[in-house]
Amino acid sequence: MAALPKRIIKETERLVSDPVPGITAIPSEDNLRYFEVTIDGPNHSPYADGVFNLELYLPDDYPMCAPKVRFLTKIYHPNIDKLGRICLDVLKDNWSPALQIRTILLSIQALLGAPNPDDPLANDVADDWKKDEKRAIEIAKEWTLKYATKKD
Amino acid sequence: MKVKILEWKSFATWHWDLATSADDSGYVEELCGICRVSFDGTCPNCKYPGDDCPIVLGSGCTHNFHLHCILKWLEQESSKGLCPMCRQIFTFKEPEQTSDVLINLKTLIDGHRVMRERFQQGNEQEFEAFGADQDLQMA
Ligand SMILES: [Zn+2]
Ligand SMILES: [Zn+2]
Ligand SMILES: [Zn+2]
Repeated sequence: MAALPKRIIKETERLVSDPVPGITAIPSEDNLRYFEVTIDGPNHSPYADGVFNLELYLPDDYPMCAPKVRFLTKIYHPNIDKLGRICLDVLKDNWSPALQIRTILLSIQALLGAPNPDDPLANDVADDWKKDEKRAIEIAKEWTLKYATKKD
Repeated sequence: MKVKILEWKSFATWHWDLATSADDSGYVEELCGICRVSFDGTCPNCKYPGDDCPIVLGSGCTHNFHLHCILKWLEQESSKGLCPMCRQIFTFKEPEQTSDVLINLKTLIDGHRVMRERFQQGNEQEFEAFGADQDLQMA
């Protein structure tokens, strides 16, 4: 494996020494570009009681392109599909090398707090969400209880 | 007493002379916003700091980058030619002096502009072709 760019080393050091509240990101021992991530569901959201697992991978041309991030925990959210893929502009068209792993993870946490059914990825969830928001929020809570790790 | 100098070593330190850009907090940005290496060091692709790996300034905004870092970013389709920090169209500040180094730099920047113009034209064609494809599938 090619040497790890300084930027990735610095970002990793900071993630460990100065972690973002409610978010953990731990590099895998055998591939320092691969991170195991957990995100606490934001308070006052249907995900508030759960901790969600994600995986994050830094492609070879990072930071010229965005990290690849995916939910591993099943989640009912209009912008996250069955495979855990996330519809978020900064992960696609609005990526900038001025963003970092920590800002991306914060954006994902913010997305949990502010589902956006008008810019969907998981189409059926977004449809349900628009038809009956109250019911959708109930399902999101149920799924959180069922699949996410309980917050301590 | 007579001292005979057998050998002597000289060394020097230097810094880039930068137009400092402070944000609201008064914090002066001394790291390249792309590779996050200090401007006294090179970009990740170069070994020796200095003329081969110069710092360039935006002319529309006040952001600084290693030349190699910003060129690499602007070559990405996804950059849309925008500054990574403020997302304005990034234009290079024309070097004022005309030393060899700066002439080289200007050649590089011009080359990049030509490349990008070509690149953007190519994109539009691709985009149209893509649209046509979709119509076919839907029919
Ligand atoms: Zn740089
Ligand atoms: Zn360089
Ligand atoms: Zn800028």
